[in-house]
Amino acid sequence: MTSQFEPIIGRYITFDIAGKSCRVYFEEAGSGIPLVCLHTAGSDNRQYRHMLCDPEITSRYRVLAFDMPWHGKSYPPEGWQNEEYRLTTELYVETIMAFCRALELDKPVVIGCSIGGRIVLQLANLHSDRFRALIGVEGADYQQPWYDTAWLHRGDVHGGEVCAALVSGLVAPQSPAVHRHETLWQYMQSGPGIFKGDLYFYRVDSDLRGKLGGIRTDICPLYLLTGEYDFSCSPQDTVRTAESIPGAKVTVMKELGHFPMSENPQQFRKYILPVLEEIAINT
Amino acid sequence: MQTINPASTGSPETDQALAEVFRNNAAGFSRNRTVNLSFLVQFGSEALLVRVQDGKVTAIDNLRDLRPLQSYDFMIKAPAEDWIRFWEPVPKAGSHDIFALTRYGQMQIQGNLHPLMSNLQFIKDLLATARGSVQ
Repeated sequence: MTSQFEPIIGRYITFDIAGKSCRVYFEEAGSGIPLVCLHTAGSDNRQYRHMLCDPEITSRYRVLAFDMPWHGKSYPPEGWQNEEYRLTTELYVETIMAFCRALELDKPVVIGCSIGGRIVLQLANLHSDRFRALIGVEGADYQQPWYDTAWLHRGDVHGGEVCAALVSGLVAPQSPAVHRHETLWQYMQSGPGIFKGDLYFYRVDSDLRGKLGGIRTDICPLYLLTGEYDFSCSPQDTVRTAESIPGAKVTVMKELGHFPMSENPQQFRKYILPVLEEIAINT
Repeated sequence: MQTINPASTGSPETDQALAEVFRNNAAGFSRNRTVNLSFLVQFGSEALLVRVQDGKVTAIDNLRDLRPLQSYDFMIKAPAEDWIRFWEPVPKAGSHDIFALTRYGQMQIQGNLHPLMSNLQFIKDLLATARGSVQ
């Protein structure tokens, strides 16, 4: 068996987010239009490893995937031990904008999944003029909770295992076993209480129903793609959201669940490549 | 593979057949971890008491064959049609996970959920052992 390097380069960068210095890990590959990738709650940038290694994407896009502070290889800000992690809508927007500023990205495209799919709606609402296009995967303005997040962080239940076991049902049954279990492994490795802290944003702080009147799809195209097997952010949630946003383009993806780029990268390519093609041509 | 006539759901015979399918597939299921619990799994009117010791299913008994007032940690129950959909070789969206079935089907999960949540993947995998066994 021969050794083979992947084209992904990983680096650390330190910059301020909401007044706190953060050492952030990111990976990148390719050149061209900046494409910033946002991982799901309680996971990290490894979810995008397949897109980072896809020549059909990296030939035209500079793909960048960062670990949010508290996630993956990005430490929490100094003093974290004295606070409970809670992601808010404001902090999430500031994190993404700060990353784009730190990397001096010129009108990037942002793709986000799950909480990342939710926050691109707010990016579109507040900053349509700052982005070339926005892609929300498994995103909606609101969705109904389906379990009590208190289970995610308590002393008598293994947090990594319960997080992974809960979200395992959001992976489509057609997903190859290797990718299914890689996706779950990321959840097993998340820091204590981080998935729960991310879901504070998702469940408590970011009900965007009726608050997205600022979205301008004429200056920043908005694409929403949701897997048919996602019962957390269901296709109905996404379609309802898209129907409230003039110009939003919505796709329900077959044989995919809540983690399309990670759980079944080959299937996801069928849907994401045409979107990236359209953005590259039209913007 | 057990053939279940979809038109027969709701009958005691179908419930009994599904319970038997589960028993045949789940007997001896084990994982290398320290799971110790008991739970009731109900197929329509048919209830099985499953006991797990040290990560291995050690007994699956029909509740009616046991002495009255059995103890167990939690209960998972659903009508026959939910289990049939759950056990399709490639289940359709909304029927592919127990929590999807609590949302879109009629599955109910009740009782002390701590043993369940502490061993959630074990229980999910155990319940799915009959996948592909009915048509």
